[in-house]
Amino acid sequence: MSGATDSLAHAVKEQEEGLLNCVHCGFCLPACPTYRRLGDEADSPRGRLHLMRAVVEGRLDPGSEAFQTHIGRCLGCRACEPVCPSGVEYGNLLELARHVGGEARKPSLLTRLLLRVFGTEWLARPAMFAGRAVRATGIPVLVTRLLAGSVPPRGPRLGLAMLAASGPMRGLRAAPAGSGSPRPAARLRATVGLLTGCVQAGLFSRVNEATVRVLEANGYQVVPVDAQGCCGALHAHAGDLEAARTMARRNVEAFEGAGVDYLAMNASGCGAAMAEYGSLLSHDPIMRDRAAAIAGRVRDVSELLAACGPVRGSAVRMKATWDAPCHLVHAQRVSGPPQAVLDAVPELEVLPLAGATECCGGAGIYGLTHPHLGGWIGGDKVGSVLESGADILVTGNPGCMMQIGAGLRLAGSEVPVLHLVELLDESYRRAGFYAGRPDHGNGRRP
Amino acid sequence: MIPGRLTKELARICGRDAVIIDRDRLLVYESDALTAYRHRPGAVVLPRTTEEVRRTVQAVVRHGLPIVPRGAGTGLSGGAVALNGAVVIGTARMNRILAIDAPNRRAVLQPGVINAELSAAAAGQGLYYAPDPSSQTACTIGGNVAENSGGPHCLKYGVTSRYVTGLTVVLPDGSVVKAGGQGREAPGYDLVGLFVGSEGCFGIATEIEVGLLPVPEGVRTLLGIFDRIEDAGRAVSEIISAGLLPAAMEIIDGPTIRAVEDSVFAAGYPTDAEAALVIEFDGLEAGLDDEAERATRFCLRAGAREVRGARDEEERVALWKGRKKAFGAMGRIAPDLLVQDATVPRTTLPAILKGISEIGKRYNLIVANVFHAGDGNLHPNILFDRRDLDELERVEHASKEIMQLCVDAGGTITGEHGVGLDKKHHMPLIYGPDELDTMWGIRRVFDPGAVMNPGKVLPEETEPSHANRGQDPARGELVGAPAPA
Amino acid sequence: MNNQALTPESTAETREIVLAARAAGSRLLPAGRRTWPGAGGWTRDGGTPVSTSQLDTVHHYEPADLILTAGAGIGLDRLARIVGPNRQWLPFDAPGSSAGTLGAAVASGTSGPLRTRYGATRDNVLGLEVVTGDGRTLRIGGRVVKNVAGYDLVRLFTGSRGSLGIITRVSVRLFPIPGADETLLFAGGPSEAVSMARTVCTSEVPVAAAELVEGEEVGADRAMVLAVRLLGGPREVEESRRRIRAALGTEPWRALHDGESRRFHTARIGWEEGASLVARLAALPDRLDAALAAARACATRANGGAQGSAAITADALQGLVRVRASLPDVDPPTGLAETLATARRDVEALGGSLTLSHAPPQVATRVGWTGSRRETAALTERIKALFDPDSVLAPRCP
Repeated sequence: MSGATDSLAHAVKEQEEGLLNCVHCGFCLPACPTYRRLGDEADSPRGRLHLMRAVVEGRLDPGSEAFQTHIGRCLGCRACEPVCPSGVEYGNLLELARHVGGEARKPSLLTRLLLRVFGTEWLARPAMFAGRAVRATGIPVLVTRLLAGSVPPRGPRLGLAMLAASGPMRGLRAAPAGSGSPRPAARLRATVGLLTGCVQAGLFSRVNEATVRVLEANGYQVVPVDAQGCCGALHAHAGDLEAARTMARRNVEAFEGAGVDYLAMNASGCGAAMAEYGSLLSHDPIMRDRAAAIAGRVRDVSELLAACGPVRGSAVRMKATWDAPCHLVHAQRVSGPPQAVLDAVPELEVLPLAGATECCGGAGIYGLTHPHLGGWIGGDKVGSVLESGADILVTGNPGCMMQIGAGLRLAGSEVPVLHLVELLDESYRRAGFYAGRPDHGNGRRP
Repeated sequence: MIPGRLTKELARICGRDAVIIDRDRLLVYESDALTAYRHRPGAVVLPRTTEEVRRTVQAVVRHGLPIVPRGAGTGLSGGAVALNGAVVIGTARMNRILAIDAPNRRAVLQPGVINAELSAAAAGQGLYYAPDPSSQTACTIGGNVAENSGGPHCLKYGVTSRYVTGLTVVLPDGSVVKAGGQGREAPGYDLVGLFVGSEGCFGIATEIEVGLLPVPEGVRTLLGIFDRIEDAGRAVSEIISAGLLPAAMEIIDGPTIRAVEDSVFAAGYPTDAEAALVIEFDGLEAGLDDEAERATRFCLRAGAREVRGARDEEERVALWKGRKKAFGAMGRIAPDLLVQDATVPRTTLPAILKGISEIGKRYNLIVANVFHAGDGNLHPNILFDRRDLDELERVEHASKEIMQLCVDAGGTITGEHGVGLDKKHHMPLIYGPDELDTMWGIRRVFDPGAVMNPGKVLPEETEPSHANRGQDPARGELVGAPAPA
Repeated sequence: MNNQALTPESTAETREIVLAARAAGSRLLPAGRRTWPGAGGWTRDGGTPVSTSQLDTVHHYEPADLILTAGAGIGLDRLARIVGPNRQWLPFDAPGSSAGTLGAAVASGTSGPLRTRYGATRDNVLGLEVVTGDGRTLRIGGRVVKNVAGYDLVRLFTGSRGSLGIITRVSVRLFPIPGADETLLFAGGPSEAVSMARTVCTSEVPVAAAELVEGEEVGADRAMVLAVRLLGGPREVEESRRRIRAALGTEPWRALHDGESRRFHTARIGWEEGASLVARLAALPDRLDAALAAARACATRANGGAQGSAAITADALQGLVRVRASLPDVDPPTGLAETLATARRDVEALGGSLTLSHAPPQVATRVGWTGSRRETAALTERIKALFDPDSVLAPRCP
């Protein structure tokens, strides 16, 4: 047996009971975006679990083409978990499988490079800076327009389009800010620390700022947590569990130090990962309990807002449709709160979106590593957004915003993609809640 | 492995991505939802059209290989397991609904359409597809046709064959035959009825016409909680005797209740109960309350601890979810399970349930019962761990005894899961040599070359032309320890 | 039908008869009580009728199981008397005679207007004992409502019209008699009646049957009457009645309750009795108008252009139209065969079919009992050969 298999045996043995929970009923098949499109059992959750079990049983080499391809092709959307009657923790098993697969055979250069960038601050910052700089030139928007119609989007075009899609929605702030009295300070509800994240901080700082404003408007005190870093979600999903654990330890300590009641998340991928810090660090005797405690305080921003209503703002007369991020609806099983937030925006018409809970194909770095399938899945999502008749798409995760936004733009659509808090924030701005703030809620730093 | 020339030919017919020959990839096709049997196919082909199926069948047969049709692989009798390196023809990509003809309450579809998705597609026109196997969110209509699937609501509405009105079938000789269809008064032998439930032994249905029903206007769901499972069985008999015709009556026993409540589908059944009886009435709103009230009285009289009504749609869905996902939830109790499917006359239910529980005790096995009580269709789930060889042997013995018990009571060995690989050796329990000969004969009418799903339904040793008739050569073995790589 | 029928008193005796006939190279004609001679067109010169009327024992009846097993020769009327006291019934309402036997009902496999509610005949036959044309006694199916053990030979035999074997024993599924039985009769002109039927059949009201009947048959002064049958609990039926009236925007010409309603439908079962021509035209329910037009053409021709005995009726839920006529013994009206052939082409163009249940030989030979089924002919040929290799029994179905 190779070293990789030893490590696999070790890693997966402990999950064997988890694997054995799968009774092979097949209820997960229709929930899986890759199975639905490819129709191959090996691209279904049940099939992938079967491959994992075959590895544990010594019937399959984790370096084999079959294991690498099909474990690699999983989006990690975890849509299979809510429909599994046996409660198989697919997400955890997938991470282990990728870990084992990664030891048996090195992941692609692209994957390693991307993970390295996200996981290393001194690499991430300049990368994001470069991204913003390119975005600021307007070239991505221009190029994307020129390329519109070339579906499915993939390769460098997709990269540029994603960058273009990460920009703010133009015209959203055309309505004047409300001049009414600023909202009276609500009774302090709780203190929260915001995970500022790597992509959010890099390309979506406006979302972070909006998050702070809407939380404060609803009575939360947002405490800066300086020592935090990348949540490690992308690394865990890719099977680089050691890197993920290192990042998790750092964040546990950082948020413990801040002493907050809750950890607010505006990227559901990060939220799902941090909510699972307990199991990620379950073998670390020092950190285990502390990680579980921190994980227990993780909340999506929509949950925090829904817990107090949220406060209603002023009218935003638009037709919106909501796309549920996988890591919110499947991994964290949060489905009601985003609805409550949309309901807090007066005169917003919320239209149904076909397949709203199906993955958009973004799936972290999936769109970049599996351009064809990611493009196919993304193309279907774009199609249903266009069919919905909405003039804005609202979602709750930066990855999804870029993926769907890129798809829409390449399809020649002008439908902008907003984060849920951006929409609420705009409603509050129009209501004049921010009149007393130095930035007037105009989205610019004071 | 299949010959390279065949691979090339299949790739030309269906496209390269539709032909799977990599041995490792084929691992995932070694079982259906009954994991006790594992056999790796020689190849898997995923065609999209009748014509592709037809040409695939021709090519495979020309190379002398057997064929196994497969839907979603949710079957519980090993029917989609490929013995002897057979080529699997999967219908996963044949998943288009070709027409929903609302005025005539019918639909035409490809076999890979998922059962629940047909109902979802017809819902806009106030229609649905009645047969609702517990796996309906995943299983395909093609698979339902092959197995003549039932489901909880078959008590009132009947099984798959009542709803299949027409078929386009690719026969093993590569011909395409249409039977029934459209005007329902198809004269002649009921070939559609004969084909439904033939478990992939006659051919592959590539287009299916089904009847749809209007969605019932009202539903009342009751949950009776019992301290003794026999009492629940008696309640069922009394409700039927009184002339009530519920849409469904389902019993979930103590061990199953506890497994479900421990899963993500917890439905709020009390975990100390020994049986939960779900009763459902549907139809026009008017009169449903009367029926529910009468059923409630019968439950209480039979000894129910309490009877609750689902107060809203959400509770109703939760009640059913627990029942429908019970099979999967068994994974909570043990890694492997063998689910049986015998049907007995309803009045024998109390005695049979007692007998099954005694057999379980004698072999020191957990037997969890969840079943369609209204039509006497039992699903005893024997839970085990295949790594425990002693237990495995006890499972085989207990399984046989339960089957015999049901047959002795005037029952049959399978009510809806099909015979497949799992129960073919039990066929002589209910049929004599003449009946088995005749079934071989019918099979050869459709499949003279013996290429369609060989090794299923009928025990080989009963085949009239079999050299070793009376012996037991190609038995599908229960899997013991994991096979070596 | 002049031959003296053989009336075996047991399955074993039936088998001996078949074996003897096979050995002698003679032919048999399976039958029940022979109340329905000629139906389905399997009269054949030289065949000796074998009537199962003596096989009328009730072998098993457990009311709480709602299942009955009896000899094939039991009369449907007697069966109803046996299960009736338990408020149960067998909702077989195929055309025939109420004196007909259970075995004949299964062998003919035809269903009546209650099919949509209760399933076709074949949906309610659970098990059979048959003696095949090569003299084997088979017990197929069982006496449980759900059974998928082995291939569904029960369905093959149901409707096989005595061509594969002689049915000697039958297990059927019974149903509770509904608390209320009501029939609403709505009268109208020909096209009005069809449009009323469409309204009823596509409404959300679960009607048990919806038939179109010629007005004069039921004493109405309009051309057609739509008979809507409601079965269920009293409150359900009351509500259904209210909604049907509302949907049609009119009051029924007459309403028949319970006993009256049952008698009306029992009489309808015998609608074909005495007719020498019966044709069944099946189409999709929304093309009922086209099937009716084709049927009217046949009826007119059967009357020879003049006022005559021919009549039509339709099962609106299933899109099935029947034509009935009593033709002169010697010379059927000229052009009748051509008209029937044209009608068949018309309904086949709509995806339907035309089948003759009764017809004078001259007509049947020219028209054919059924449309051609070339696609499945090879299969049915092989099926026939499997059960009756020497053609001892009735000719194979198309």
